[in-house]
Amino acid sequence: MKAPRIPTGTHGPASGLAPLPFTLLCATVLCVLAAHAPHMPVWYTTVLAAIVAARWWQRRRQRGRVSAWLRVALLVAVPAAVVAVYGTPFGREPGAAIVCGLLAVKLLESERPRDARMAVGFACFILMSALLFDQALAFTIIVGLMLLPALATLRALEPGLPESGWLPAFRTGAVLLGASLPAALLGFLLIPRLATPLWGAPGNGVARTGMTDRMAPGDLHSLLTDNAVAMRIGFDGAPPPENQRYFRGMVLWSFDGRAWVPGAAARRPWPPVPVGVHDPLTHYDVTLLPSHRHWMFALDVPVDAPEDAVMGPDHTLSSSKPIDQTLHYRVASATDYQLAPERLDPRIRAAALELPAGFDPGAHALAERWRTAAGGDDAAIVRDALALFRDGDFVYDLDAPPLDRNSVDDFLFNTKTGFCEHYASAFTFLMRAAGIPARVVVGYQGGYWNAFAHYLLIRQSDAHAWSEVWLAGRGWVRVDPTAAVSRIILADTGGAAGDVGGGNRSWWMPWQNRLDVINRWWGQTVVGFDALSQGRLFRPFGVEHATAQMLGIGLAIAVFLTLGFGALLASLRPHHKPRDALATAQQRLQHRLARIGIVRGTAEGPRDFFSRSVAALPDSASTLRTLSTEYLVLRYACAEPPPEQTRAFARRVRNFHPRHVLK
Amino acid sequence: MDQNFTVAAKADSLTRQRLDAAIAQVNEVLVGKNQPIRMAFACLLAGGHLLVEDVPGVGKTTLAHALATTLGLSFRRIQFTSDLLPTDIVGVSVFDRDSGAFRFQQGPIFAQLLLADEINRATPKTQSALLEAMAEGQVTVDGASRALPEPFFVVATQNPLDMAGTYPLPDSQLDRFMLRISLDYPDADAERRLLTGEDRSAMLERMAARLSGPDIMTLRRQARAVTASPALLDYVQALVTASRKHPDIRTGLSPRAGLALLACARAWALLGDRNYTLPEDVQAVFVAIAGHRLIPARNLARDTLAQALLETVAVE
Repeated sequence: MKAPRIPTGTHGPASGLAPLPFTLLCATVLCVLAAHAPHMPVWYTTVLAAIVAARWWQRRRQRGRVSAWLRVALLVAVPAAVVAVYGTPFGREPGAAIVCGLLAVKLLESERPRDARMAVGFACFILMSALLFDQALAFTIIVGLMLLPALATLRALEPGLPESGWLPAFRTGAVLLGASLPAALLGFLLIPRLATPLWGAPGNGVARTGMTDRMAPGDLHSLLTDNAVAMRIGFDGAPPPENQRYFRGMVLWSFDGRAWVPGAAARRPWPPVPVGVHDPLTHYDVTLLPSHRHWMFALDVPVDAPEDAVMGPDHTLSSSKPIDQTLHYRVASATDYQLAPERLDPRIRAAALELPAGFDPGAHALAERWRTAAGGDDAAIVRDALALFRDGDFVYDLDAPPLDRNSVDDFLFNTKTGFCEHYASAFTFLMRAAGIPARVVVGYQGGYWNAFAHYLLIRQSDAHAWSEVWLAGRGWVRVDPTAAVSRIILADTGGAAGDVGGGNRSWWMPWQNRLDVINRWWGQTVVGFDALSQGRLFRPFGVEHATAQMLGIGLAIAVFLTLGFGALLASLRPHHKPRDALATAQQRLQHRLARIGIVRGTAEGPRDFFSRSVAALPDSASTLRTLSTEYLVLRYACAEPPPEQTRAFARRVRNFHPRHVLK
Repeated sequence: MDQNFTVAAKADSLTRQRLDAAIAQVNEVLVGKNQPIRMAFACLLAGGHLLVEDVPGVGKTTLAHALATTLGLSFRRIQFTSDLLPTDIVGVSVFDRDSGAFRFQQGPIFAQLLLADEINRATPKTQSALLEAMAEGQVTVDGASRALPEPFFVVATQNPLDMAGTYPLPDSQLDRFMLRISLDYPDADAERRLLTGEDRSAMLERMAARLSGPDIMTLRRQARAVTASPALLDYVQALVTASRKHPDIRTGLSPRAGLALLACARAWALLGDRNYTLPEDVQAVFVAIAGHRLIPARNLARDTLAQALLETVAVE
């Protein structure tokens, strides 16, 4: 018969790192790696995760140490690998990759609670740096939740807590996380901030999604299957009708037989073409998400450029700097307009008719036939071309087959399958071949009108290409050949093809569109909360612009109020109410002992606890023995502790100030 | 200490000394078994019966013998077998030709200390004859109740491993044993002393009685008088309640188990020369009391469950 083992709270001097906190620490590090995985090479993340897993397994099997040689080798290998991948150790991505690697290597030498605490602090910092790469609401929430294992690790590292295990650790972590929210909110609002957000730091020119200034068949495919938000537009009045929601990005003038590019024509300083306006202008605000390019988008066609932007002669807007942060601008557009109706500048005409020699003889021949049949009627040729796309067995399909050297011929007479850029490219080619000035316009079309929050949501998948032809007397006219195609094959790629007016959307897309309100709010209110917005914070109190000092004072007051409120809540909470004066005194004693690391276990008998305290505090042994005898007799030898003796005990407890540092 | 707190029911010093001497003597025979021996004494002083569960050869019978001699009690041993009949235990009425009437021939149960060896080898009918006697303190034969001698202390043994051809005691019967202990193998040091030391049976023969029946009755009275404060009763109640609410326990501790726990904790306090009960006393005897009474909901070790209860219920 073994004597029943009574759990004791303290485990004496902290020696090794227990399995539970170590496992939690490994989980924390894996979370950090997951948060940074989107911008790190897959193999790199995998290797780091494998190191963590191997270390966990090694420590689980036996409590051996990892050889110093291996640690040093990894310590050298991590930065070397990063430099090999990125070419430099500096910058956002390489920096994050290096610290992630170092964190994983840190686990190899974590043998004591102290190491684990340091690793947790390090992990929290690296976790936060993941927000430099993405500030979307969902990601921010995920990063916040990833703090849970970190906090749970800290809880599990705490010596001598009565409860141990996964559940109490995570419960405490969740409580801490929740309790920190008010403080985080105050800090967010009131800590004076820099004029530019930290995450405005330039990237390393890594490949980005978004539009490029080159359009070859198939180029837009990745864009059309990308559901990322491109921009959000709020109109002053009613939104334009759906068939007029064309957002002009850039004009491509030059064709080299395969790809359309802006070409030299786009850069020439031609005189601006005035816009003939018929209807009242449409005024609207655009929130353009970072594209890291220069061009800005506006409803067809903008009448003038917003601040810090210029308008080209082809009515495209471009920013003077690459758009690395979310950009807000206000534009006015004419939806019913005329561009150069009377006369086309001969240089522009030449540029708009230019075709590469030796390509696509079939298309040339077809255009010749149309020209012969139509005589001088350009509009009839346009109608002929649209009729060809409508009735000629053309198919809209994102999964277009690759085209051979004569890409236009191959598409027109052979594959007959493609999406906006195939149609825009072929149509523009045909027009030029028939002698009609034409150009390709790339931008966005359609979008999701959020009636609830009153804004138009444009995703990358709404990217579109169309044509403009110049007709005498009417000027530049927008022609969307893709709209003429009648057969549409639905791709299974999410919400692709805003292209054809939303013919292809998966079931969750509408929900995503509706929920975008939250992302918009997040972007405008939280991510967009800059020094300027902060300065306006005290307007309700009659302060036009809050200075840093005012913010500091506000922060101090707010912190004071929060702490006071917290203290009030704590005092109202019905915590273990001591049953009598004796229990109160005993609690005080236990509290004093707990502060120096002698924590009483929930199920630890009072006499056991006292003997343990005596053993831990040889200097106070005699006092503790007296206290022990008094307490045990008062509590367990009497039905009702006599008040006189209870007071004496309480007095002795008050005068007892144990001092001891755990070795 | 203040006069108010001094002893009300402290064993008078002579009885006390004899008790210590008795424990010491049993300890001499069973080397390194201090804890189970104290348990056996606690069980005796709390007025319960003892179930010793262990493999053969670890000293179950030696313990019973040593106890009987040391306690100065009349001792009988029954080896339980499958053909043992209730009358073999209780006794039988035989016709006395001289007086022309039936005369009751007392069975081995009429002893102060009864060793029921391998109790699980007998049929349930025979087992229940013994258990009834244990509960009632008397036997009824031919309509006449006959009181058993006082004190009446049963030490039953069973082998938990060799289950072939046995009738394991049902849970309801197990409840009649106040404590269930096991002796376990001796540790290396004790084993060496056992090997080099004197022959056990010779030691047993040499042993003298250290206590007597009346002494034990006095000690039992004193154990009952040990203070159990409201705080302690709270703890006992908390343990019992927790056993009934625990998700892994199908049937928790009965009120009888609660009473046994309190009685045993008091006896344990008395053994510790204290006239008030501490939570530590409760904890010391809890597994031995609850281990065989808890019915797990899943396939869990009963002692583990008892231990788990002990580790979760808070103490003041």
